[in-house]
Amino acid sequence: MTIILDQTSKSFGSVEVLRALSLEVKPGEFLVLLGASGSGKTTALRMIAGLESVTSGRILIGSRDVTHVLPKNRDVAMVFQSYALYPHKTVFENIAYPLTVRKRPKAEIEKSVRDVAQQVQLDHLLERYPRQLSGGQRQRVALARAIVRRPSAFLMDEPLSNLDAKLRGHMRAELKHMQHELGITTIYVTHDQIEAMTLAHRVAILERGVLQQLDTPANIYNRPANLFVAGFIGSPPMNVLEGSLADGRFDCSAGSFGTASRASGRAVVAGLRPEDGRLAPPGQGQLAGEIYASELIGDHTLVTCRCGGATVTVKADKDFAGSIGQPIGIGFEERAVHLFDKASGERLQ
Amino acid sequence: MSVLKRLTEPKSLDSMSPLGAVLVYGGLILWSMVVLFPLYWIAITSLKLPIHVSAGPVYLPFVDFLPDLHAWRYIFVDLGNDTLRPYLNSIVVALVSTALAMLIGSMAAYSLSRLEFAPRLASILLFLLLGAVMIVAVAGFGVPWWIAAVVALALFLLLARAAGRTMRASLGNGDILFWIISQRILPPVVAALPIYVMFQTVGLLDTRTALIATYTTVNLPIVVWLMYDFFVTIPKDLEESASLDGASRFAIFFGIVLPLARPGLVATGLLVLILAWNEYLLALFLSSANAQTMPVLVAAQNATRGPQWWYMSVLILLMILPVIFLTLLLQRFIAKGMLLGAVKG
Repeated sequence: MTIILDQTSKSFGSVEVLRALSLEVKPGEFLVLLGASGSGKTTALRMIAGLESVTSGRILIGSRDVTHVLPKNRDVAMVFQSYALYPHKTVFENIAYPLTVRKRPKAEIEKSVRDVAQQVQLDHLLERYPRQLSGGQRQRVALARAIVRRPSAFLMDEPLSNLDAKLRGHMRAELKHMQHELGITTIYVTHDQIEAMTLAHRVAILERGVLQQLDTPANIYNRPANLFVAGFIGSPPMNVLEGSLADGRFDCSAGSFGTASRASGRAVVAGLRPEDGRLAPPGQGQLAGEIYASELIGDHTLVTCRCGGATVTVKADKDFAGSIGQPIGIGFEERAVHLFDKASGERLQ
Repeated sequence: MSVLKRLTEPKSLDSMSPLGAVLVYGGLILWSMVVLFPLYWIAITSLKLPIHVSAGPVYLPFVDFLPDLHAWRYIFVDLGNDTLRPYLNSIVVALVSTALAMLIGSMAAYSLSRLEFAPRLASILLFLLLGAVMIVAVAGFGVPWWIAAVVALALFLLLARAAGRTMRASLGNGDILFWIISQRILPPVVAALPIYVMFQTVGLLDTRTALIATYTTVNLPIVVWLMYDFFVTIPKDLEESASLDGASRFAIFFGIVLPLARPGLVATGLLVLILAWNEYLLALFLSSANAQTMPVLVAAQNATRGPQWWYMSVLILLMILPVIFLTLLLQRFIAKGMLLGAVKG
């Protein structure tokens, strides 16, 4: 079902945590709200759930205005970061809870719970209590409880952040598969960009309560809308060089190069992803600098260079051997460069 | 040196030093005697003849004196129904008032732990002022009380908003909580006489209803105060999750919150039950023949012939038994770890 936020704002006292957020989640879409802590992403999710009131604006689920509807009547299911399992109920009773409070017939509950439990591989644990389960199993119970009544939307608040790295990767794949199978609209909150990029159909990036960009993961990575997004997405983050633009040529203390931009005579910031740069002998490439540090990651080496006043990190071959302080050149395809207006931070072109 | 060292140092990580063991177990034995001796004394006193009590202390049955069941016979056979009636009164009054206080008190505590209240100070002052005016009108000018009440209520409803606008200060949950517990600051004996007059006016003196109403009211602040602390520790995630699962506030309270607060409920319930079970002062004021409770009956054994220690001992043993039984029955619920596994790993 469609979920629409229309100019939705939220303030706690004089603190504005969400400013006129507008977005539309399409039926069956997996939308990720991505942002650092304090960006307002969890508040936005809790407002959709009905756990926080709306200061101004509207929220629509399907075609229904739910801005003032109680959580229990919104027909959305939520998975909490803490899982929020009922500790005095067995796994079966936990999963069955959304059905038992709705007073569904016993036989139907029994069947639904067993079906869902099988789907998330919990069928052998139904008589256990949450305290007897591992983190991954608790996570599955929380998921099963959300799925069991086929809600019109899933809301997930950092559901994987309490799992260890290996399990997280595994659950991520399962989550994506499950959402695809069920085709239920999902809004997923995370601060982890890998989760956002891998899970989402579209990602909404929030910062200080303001939507920065809403687009597909590929577009967000390839065409970041502003400097914040450019710096937030990608690991290691995009290199930034401050300089000036004149007749389509970018000029900074470490070198100069041509760009696709026709703009002229303004202060700009050029961005270059580490994987778009390549190391060259001194005097070659567009930028000149010296090696500051080199770190072998495994399948590649991260080489950090000082170029004028800026630091530029380049992803180099795993066999790269260079010593600290050695002069070096950095080359790149000129169309790989991202240009941003220095004053506003907005993308140029 | 080496002797001192051997005495004061433990042999291994999980054992005590010999000196430590002596001190700890010595202390425990001493304290057990302090706690258990009165019980022993009551038990043997119930088996003594008056002569054994008044002729100086005797300690060991069959050695110092020959046990006799005369006191037990008096309480169970001679008094018979006059023992049974107060016993039943005590049971009914204590159980019902505890149940009521727990139900009302835990609901109040829950709402104080979850909802933000902000009563306007102006409204409270207006309410008190109108109350005072009403009392003056009724007592001083002979206005019928129901007319005064209706007028005062109407005035309050009319003026409350205006008063709130002129005076913005408001109170919070902490103030309400303190106001509730502050009702226990007043010594009960101060309130006993007004309570007596009140129940006399409505014709409820010497009824279980009066005792139940009074005990419920007196114990409410304790329940609210203790249960508030238990509710605050329950993660809000659980309730939010339940509300999204489709549960109403009442369903959440009875289905999720109360089961999780069970250790607190049992502990508070036991405390309140014991307070109601042992209450003497208010029972003395409010009951005479019909609604008399056990504490009053025990005290009544100190009559014209002087304190009848042997009868008292039997009655006290009868009073202690159900409490011990109940505590043993319920103590397994006062176990920790209920919330384990609710949130996080």
